[in-house]
Amino acid sequence: MIYLYWYLGVGLAALAVVYGAHRLKKGKKSESLRDLFESVNPDRKKLSYCILNNVVAPTLAAILVVAVWPVAVYRQFKEMLQKTDGTEIEEEREFAVERHHLQEHLTVQEIERREAVIDPLKAVPELPFGHLNAAWQEFLNDNADGGELWSFSARRQTTWGCKELRSGYVVVRDGAPGTHFLTVWKDILDDIDDGAKQAH
Amino acid sequence: MCTTPLCDYFAMGGFNPRFKLNSTALWRGYVGSWEIVDDRLYLIGLNGTLEDGSKASLATIFPEFPERVFAHWYSGMIRIPQGKRLEYVHMGYGSIFERDLLLDVERGVVVTTQVRQNGVADSEGAPEDYEVRTMTVFPRTGKGEGEST
Repeated sequence: MIYLYWYLGVGLAALAVVYGAHRLKKGKKSESLRDLFESVNPDRKKLSYCILNNVVAPTLAAILVVAVWPVAVYRQFKEMLQKTDGTEIEEEREFAVERHHLQEHLTVQEIERREAVIDPLKAVPELPFGHLNAAWQEFLNDNADGGELWSFSARRQTTWGCKELRSGYVVVRDGAPGTHFLTVWKDILDDIDDGAKQAH
Repeated sequence: MCTTPLCDYFAMGGFNPRFKLNSTALWRGYVGSWEIVDDRLYLIGLNGTLEDGSKASLATIFPEFPERVFAHWYSGMIRIPQGKRLEYVHMGYGSIFERDLLLDVERGVVVTTQVRQNGVADSEGAPEDYEVRTMTVFPRTGKGEGEST
């Protein structure tokens, strides 16, 4: 019997540690985040959900930790180890042009000639890159200190598994691509032909 | 429509006046109106509120083109749901309707048009449109969101 008391005593201590760690990690919930969750799941506003979420679930979890605390301790250690060895969920990588994306070395004049935008309804300024001309001028000014201009095209898969195509122009210094200007940024969809039929 | 071409304009360096987030049902803070004329995509209206509380229109972003803007910056698929709703999804544009009109756009010009058949609604009374409560859409620094046609 004394072993059971010891086991449960250690379980209570483990519960205190797990609860403390959870509180530290959780912090204060932001108002906007709460609004977001409620918008996604309107049931969160119901009393039954509040009771289930705030009373029943924590109580069951506490009983479980006291009863099978070695598992809780193991999971807590595993989580801590994952944080230190950098195997946490990977965040979305920022896009950067790489050497194998480069296509053609061009002058500013050549680029501006090929990027003229014409519209029969005159709903665009007759300037290179049309409505994005100011952004292009800013790009040139920011990179006025030298380097070559290259066109590029990059197909990639995002961390979320989406395929996308990005094309445009990039400043290359000493062979290394740097800042870029986008002309195309589109998602590549694989499944749209399934069940689709041509309408015209 | 369940695509936001103006979002791409901002992501590609176009002037973004910073819209106010009034509601979680409209995170981007504006609604754009679009038109296809002779297979070209045009932005013909914009309603929104800026962070300083003032109203935003097309002229806020394109002062020299307050009536019509050719969306030459946009490349991608525009999805326009049609028919009755088959399945309700309380997130963004996840709900499924009987058909999807898919416009493949290259630099503002529609290159192909397809219709995807998703099924037939069981109920005659099934809604045919997006409702306000379904419009929870999460903005990205890149692409995403949805606007009206």
